[in-house]
Amino acid sequence: MVDDAGRAVTLQAPARRIVSLSPATTELLFAIAAGDRVVGRTRWCQDPPEASAVPSVGDGLDPNVELIVARRPDLVVFYHSGANDAAIAQLARVGIAAASVKLDGLEDLARAALLLGRLTGDSVRADSLVSAFQPELTRVAARPPAAAPSVLMLAWDNPPIVIGSASFLSEIVELAGGRNAFGDLEQPSAPVSIEAIAARDPDVVLVAGGSGDPAWARRPEWQAVGAVEAGRFVAVSGTEFSHPSFRAAQAVERLRAALREVVP
Amino acid sequence: MRWSLMVAASAAMLLVGLAVGPADLAPATVWQAVLGRGDEATAAIVRDLRLPRVLLAYLIGGSLAVTGASLQAVVRNPLADPYLLGLSGGAGLGAVAAIALGLGGAWAVPLAALVGAVLAIVLVYRVALAAGGHLDTRVLLLAGVVVGAFAASLMGAIMALSPAPEVRNALLWLLGSFDAASWRALAVFGAYALFPLAVLYGMARPMDLLALGEEPARFLGADVERTKRVLYVAASALTAAAVSVSGIIGFVGLVIPHAVRMLWGHTHRALLPSAFLLGGTLMVAADAVARTAFAPLELPVGVVTALIGVPLFIWLVRRWAS
Repeated sequence: MVDDAGRAVTLQAPARRIVSLSPATTELLFAIAAGDRVVGRTRWCQDPPEASAVPSVGDGLDPNVELIVARRPDLVVFYHSGANDAAIAQLARVGIAAASVKLDGLEDLARAALLLGRLTGDSVRADSLVSAFQPELTRVAARPPAAAPSVLMLAWDNPPIVIGSASFLSEIVELAGGRNAFGDLEQPSAPVSIEAIAARDPDVVLVAGGSGDPAWARRPEWQAVGAVEAGRFVAVSGTEFSHPSFRAAQAVERLRAALREVVP
Repeated sequence: MRWSLMVAASAAMLLVGLAVGPADLAPATVWQAVLGRGDEATAAIVRDLRLPRVLLAYLIGGSLAVTGASLQAVVRNPLADPYLLGLSGGAGLGAVAAIALGLGGAWAVPLAALVGAVLAIVLVYRVALAAGGHLDTRVLLLAGVVVGAFAASLMGAIMALSPAPEVRNALLWLLGSFDAASWRALAVFGAYALFPLAVLYGMARPMDLLALGEEPARFLGADVERTKRVLYVAASALTAAAVSVSGIIGFVGLVIPHAVRMLWGHTHRALLPSAFLLGGTLMVAADAVARTAFAPLELPVGVVTALIGVPLFIWLVRRWAS
């Protein structure tokens, strides 16, 4: 088996003890009915709720190898990133298999689920989830909105960092019938001027993980952005908005409803 | 001649700064908006974002150049700049701590940076005084570097231990930006800066004496101890406020005073206002580049001042040497 980094993953038997180092893969392992094999997770892995019962090994990027080895895993699932190369090499030295999984967008979900299915030796659940997911997403996305509001997504306010088209959240917004106001930026996120935001004049501001108007919206310089001045905020919460999962269709439906409330 | 040239360059650069930006506006449209005509969205961009922004950049650029010149006079070391004296470490620690602790509120990060910078100033000042009851400028420099390194280490510890990925955004903020510019920010900083700027200008003559060395200055009737203390406190307090508004923007305080000295000599009565005009002009130019070079992306303005300031400095040194 070959992982998303192009490395061969060699297992003597299907993985029985798995340490999962990203919230998306942890949720995916539980989704494909391999949750009982997860023996380690990151401190960020909160989904599904049962995952919280699994011992945490700390961070998922550049993780603590000693804590991982102490969980005695036969497979460690990494988020695909150069920051993890050193840890993967260390694990290889002690004979623990590692798989890098690229799971940045919805298009990665099927491949990731099938790879994890093969690694755990049970692809039945993964197969059925994958075959049900695309039609569900298509069904949800098929309802065309009256108008496609342009949506500003801020990762940070001072300096302003906006979400670009490479982000998963941008994908959800587009499926929900919105347009990413900075969809032309190919990065996941990038710093921009408030003037650039004001010039694009987004219809609404998406506030992920918060409720109500954010504190920065009270600052005078932000009042030049029409949507901020008029208080057109759309608040959504829940981890289905923070990483790709098979709950994406629900995220799309919830966001669509929330957008309708602000931009009829 | 020299003054009118510098004032004209300032005015021209302010106009350029006003005319360019990520929003594609014709110069005529910008001018109409300044005069209060045109549509509402354009008016908001020009009058509420660009105009206060270029003015704030000018004011902060000028202030940093003046503080740099003053501190170089105090410690009689050409390397002196507010950030070498521990201020950036303190400000950075404040900002990172505020974000790591999840302090809410619209002004939490700038205020925390201000508190951190002031604490660093007080600590450096106390250490420098501890050596024999008078302000030893060599100890002052040393204390600045040491306090700065200590703060940087604490910052590293917070970043390593903090669960908030947002902490890295604090570093981006520290690299400097005028994105938080508004009429309110301009008014608050302007009102605040006026007093230390006036104090520093009022000390121009004692600074000239200090430049001769502490012994000769004392011999010529300067109250050396008081001069050093007042200069250090006024310059640091001004820089701390600048940091809290726009992050750490280096090289202006270092390069501009040297440039002015090489071009027009060492008398502080002329050096300080020249440094202000030139520092403001350079900062507005740097900010214009930061906003437009990769629009809609914005470069940290501290990166641009270094990119402009360092070649400028090398050119000046070569010219001066030949």
